[in-house]
This record gives sequence, structure tokens and C-alpha cells, in this order.
Amino acid sequence: MMRASAREKPVAATGGQAKLDSRISTRTLNLVLLAALLLAMVLATALGAVRLPISEVLRTLLHPSRAGEAHDIIFGLRLPRVVAAALVGAALSATGVLFQGLFRNPLADPFVLGTSGGAALGGAIGIFLIPTLSFAGFSATAVLAFCGSVLTMILVWYLARASGRFAMETLLLAGFAIGTMLNAATVVFELHEEASNSGLRVLAAWLHGQLGIPTWSQVGLLAPLVGLAIVLGLPVAGRLNTLALGEEYAEQLGVHVGRVRVATVIVGSVLTAAAVSLGGLIGFVGLLVPHFLRILIGPNHVRLLPAAAIGGATFLILADTFARIAFAPTEIPVGVFTAFLGGPAFLYLLNHRSRESRQ
Amino acid sequence: MNSTILEFRNVSFSRGPRLLLDRMSFGIEKQEMIALVGPNGVGKTTLLKLASRLLPPASGEILLDGKPLPSWSRRELPRAVALVPQELEIPFNFPVEEIVAQGRVPYQPLFATSTLQDREAVEGAMQAVDIVGLRRRFYSELSGGERQRVKIAIGLAQQPKLMLLDEPTQHLDIGRQIELIDLLRRLNASGITIISAMHDLNLVAETFSSVIMLTPEPSWIAGSTADVMRPDLLARAFSVAPKALGRYFFAPVSEELAQVW
Repeated sequence: MMRASAREKPVAATGGQAKLDSRISTRTLNLVLLAALLLAMVLATALGAVRLPISEVLRTLLHPSRAGEAHDIIFGLRLPRVVAAALVGAALSATGVLFQGLFRNPLADPFVLGTSGGAALGGAIGIFLIPTLSFAGFSATAVLAFCGSVLTMILVWYLARASGRFAMETLLLAGFAIGTMLNAATVVFELHEEASNSGLRVLAAWLHGQLGIPTWSQVGLLAPLVGLAIVLGLPVAGRLNTLALGEEYAEQLGVHVGRVRVATVIVGSVLTAAAVSLGGLIGFVGLLVPHFLRILIGPNHVRLLPAAAIGGATFLILADTFARIAFAPTEIPVGVFTAFLGGPAFLYLLNHRSRESRQ
Repeated sequence: MNSTILEFRNVSFSRGPRLLLDRMSFGIEKQEMIALVGPNGVGKTTLLKLASRLLPPASGEILLDGKPLPSWSRRELPRAVALVPQELEIPFNFPVEEIVAQGRVPYQPLFATSTLQDREAVEGAMQAVDIVGLRRRFYSELSGGERQRVKIAIGLAQQPKLMLLDEPTQHLDIGRQIELIDLLRRLNASGITIISAMHDLNLVAETFSSVIMLTPEPSWIAGSTADVMRPDLLARAFSVAPKALGRYFFAPVSEELAQVW
């Protein structure tokens, strides 16, 4: 490893060692993360109300044509849920990386542009007005939440542009305003006298990030969508590295900043909408996973994006498994659990970082 | 063969209602090393941004290598001109090496990874400004002088013909200032034309052969250092009365002190 030359040794007041970039290699990390993902998938499939032995899970997964009780549990209940958790975790973490790069701020999360408000309103309409309707295997709630977040994004973008001076702050403020308004509209729905009790419970769970059991046709549509969006995010991520120097600097280096903005927002919105349609509003994943991985492999967005996708999938599978079994037979929404876990973990990481830089 | 690298033809620029540059015309020869001086807010940074196409002139034309700036392609221009900005803040802990590598972006198509040429250019840039030992350090933890050299290394990785620097000596102690000026001279000797906005008139008088001085009217004076750096002209530009002592200039800080002089 390269050491700082003697002449360059900082004359820090504490006399500490110069802080070097000594993070682990990306390939190592990705291999470890992939192994962890597979392990988490098998483990999550085995755990639940009926505990299946790991050997049974592996046998059933390797011979999917063999019928039986284990087959029904695994392919009918557990595996779709595990895949849903993986997709949501990957989508939210990848969006976190992209938005944090775009806004040059590690605290930007997937819902920073107000999409959560649109998704919530769409979800509420679906739950209260047309709870029994479904389109191509998707519940009305999922479809309307997807549409709600994409429409919000378009509206926020349009408003930010229409204000004349198109800057990132304008985009953030427009997102905040629209998101707040849409959340207020959702509350009107909740308080309406005709809102049924069961509907309220479903909405509350959904707003706090309750993963459902998707049909395989849902998975079949969303998995390629999420995968494609992340792959399309890779060239964008390369330009986000340049954007770290500032928008004007990136422009000076020949980067088409306007296009990078549009591409990031489109990819991020599609990913967020896909996540929301599967699991409602799950917080903290998009902040926590990128932040943790940045400490391990550094902030280079090209390396961070795939690692965050795999790491996010693993994280949410484990979190959802815990949410399913911790208070069985009651299931807590995984979003509640990520907030419980995410809050303290985030504070620890912040403290860890500041201590590191003091040394 | 055209020896003019940068030419302003009747370039005007306004910020809001205020006219900053008024029909400015000048030409800069290849290999020159030019200081850009003038009081705060007179338009030095603006001029550098105009020359690197970050701002469009309100009227007039800017030519680089005889070719109007608007006709340069988005990726071609940063290979010819590098602007080293005054401030650079980086929100994440990028190691120095990855920051310098951003200077290669104009050479890289969207889906490409860095080539051997890119890596050599980054290595060369880091060697030229003597930051090889800092490659794995974080930018946020470098001293002012180290940061200046990282910024110049980004510009060098662009392998430009013309380098524009915005007050590269600001916040530096006198030792670091001299090191930095020596670095600029070496780069100039290696064939890069340099235009640098400067505040320290003594450094300018000692090390630059030509000067462009912007004055608040708005107007400008361009020429050899000896012609431009005259007490009367400096008084007009900075609205103080600097005294010349040999090649050096001293500006009295107040009227009372001026009488002592």
C-alpha cells in the first residue's frame, strides 16, 4: 500500500497517522455480498410459522417439480416474499446511491423528491375505493402506488423547471412541497367517515412498509424492470463521480449535467415506484445500506451501485424475515423494523465517522 | 501558422444591470504566462469562465486556436482548455487518485473504463505536481497547498494546451505560494499556456511576463508586466495608491499611513 511520503505527513494537532484510503477491494466485497444474499434467501425460506429444515429447502429448490407440502409453502408463500424483499431492498438501496450522488449529499433518500406522497395517495385510493380490483396479477393498490410515485416525480420535475431557475434546491423544495400536500390528501382519505376500519389497518401497515406475497407474474414483471434500471444506472453512476466535483466543474469536463439529472431521476423513480408497489413505504434502507458500503469500499458510484443493490437485497430479506417471525403470529411491517434498527445503526455510523476523522 | 491560442473579439458581459466586461479585445500567444489582476468583483472569474465556455458572452466572439468556442464539441473543448476553479468542495471521501482521474472524463466514452493512456495521464499529472504520495488520502483532509495541487493535477490530466487558474495562491502561506508559482512556471515551460487570476501584485511583478488588468470602469489594460504594473495604472484599478519600491508594490492601508510614506 502507498504510504504518505515523509514530507507530506500532516502536522495535525493530535499528531495522528494520516488517514489513507485502505478499503477492501470491490470484487471481494461483491463475492461476499453475493454469498450472503444466497445464504439469506435460503435461511429466509426455511424460517417461518412452519420451520423447514435447510436440507428440505435446498432439495425442493433444486427439484421444483416435486409436489408436496414443502413445495407449496416454498413456492406459494416464502419464495415470492423473499424475492419481493430482495427486489425492494435492491431498488431502494440503488436509488439511494443515485440520488445521494445527484444531490451530492449522503442524506438524500429514495423518497427525497416527494414520491412517497404520491405513492401513499395512490395506495390509499386503491385500498379504500377499489380494494378488490386487480390488473394483471397486481392489486389496485400496487398499480396506483406505482402510478402515484411516477406522476409525482413528473409533476415535481415540471414545477422545478417552470420556476425558471432550474437548480437542485428548487427540485428538492418542489418535491418537499408536493410530497407534503399529497400526504395531507391521504389523511383526508383516512379521516373520511366512510373509511372502513379494516381499510385503515391495511393502509397503516402499507404506509409503514408491509411486504406482501406477490404473485409470480408480478415478480416476473418487476424483477426484469429493477434489473434493467440498475444496469442502466451504471453509466449514470460514472458521471455522478464527476458530478461530485460540482455541477459547474462537471460541465467544464464535458459532462452533460442536464442529461445526467434526467437519467438519474428517471432510473431512480422507476426503481422507487417498483419498490413501493411491492412493499409500501420502507424507510432507512436507501440511507443505511449505501452509507455502510461507502465506509467499506469508498464512494465511487460505479462500484457502489451494484454492491448496494446486492447488499440492500440481503439486508431487506433478513429484516423481513425477522419482521415475520419475531412477534409471530403477529407480523410487524418490515418498514417499522428497518426504522427501529436503522435509527440506532445510523447514529452509530455517524458517530463512528466523526470519531474516525478526529483521530 | 497561427500562434494565437486565445482571442477575445469585442466581448461584453453583464451581470444583472452591471456591465462587467465592455467590448474587450485581446489575443494571447501560445506559451505565454499571463496574470489576470484587478480588484474584487471586477470580473476576473467571469473572464475565465467565458474563456472556458461556462458562460456565453452577451456579445462578441471568443476564439480558441482560431476556432470560435461554440463550434468546439463538448468533449473536444476540455481536452484543450482546463479551468482550475477557486473553490472545490467534494461531498464524499474520494481518494485523491480518483479525483485526479476525473480529468480524463473528456477522453472517455460513456461506457468505457479507463485505458492505459488514461492511467498514464493521471500518473503523470500527479507526478508533475508532486502528489503521488497523497494518492490514497482523502481530499477533505488535505492542507490548502495540497488541495491546490490536486486541483491543478485534475487540469493536467485533461492534457490541455491552455490552463486557466482562478487565484491559485489564495489561502497559501508565502512558502506554498512560491512553490505554486514555480510549478506554474514549470508547466508553462513544458508548453502549456497559462492565464492565472492573481491578487498578490508582488508575485505577479516577479514572475509573470504579461498582465491583463481589469479596471472597474469597466475597462482593461493588457501588455508586458513593466507596462501594466505602473503605480498610476494600479491606482486607477484598485483605488489606492501603491508605491513602487524597485519591482515591488506596497499599498498604504490608510490615509494616515499614506502620509508617513
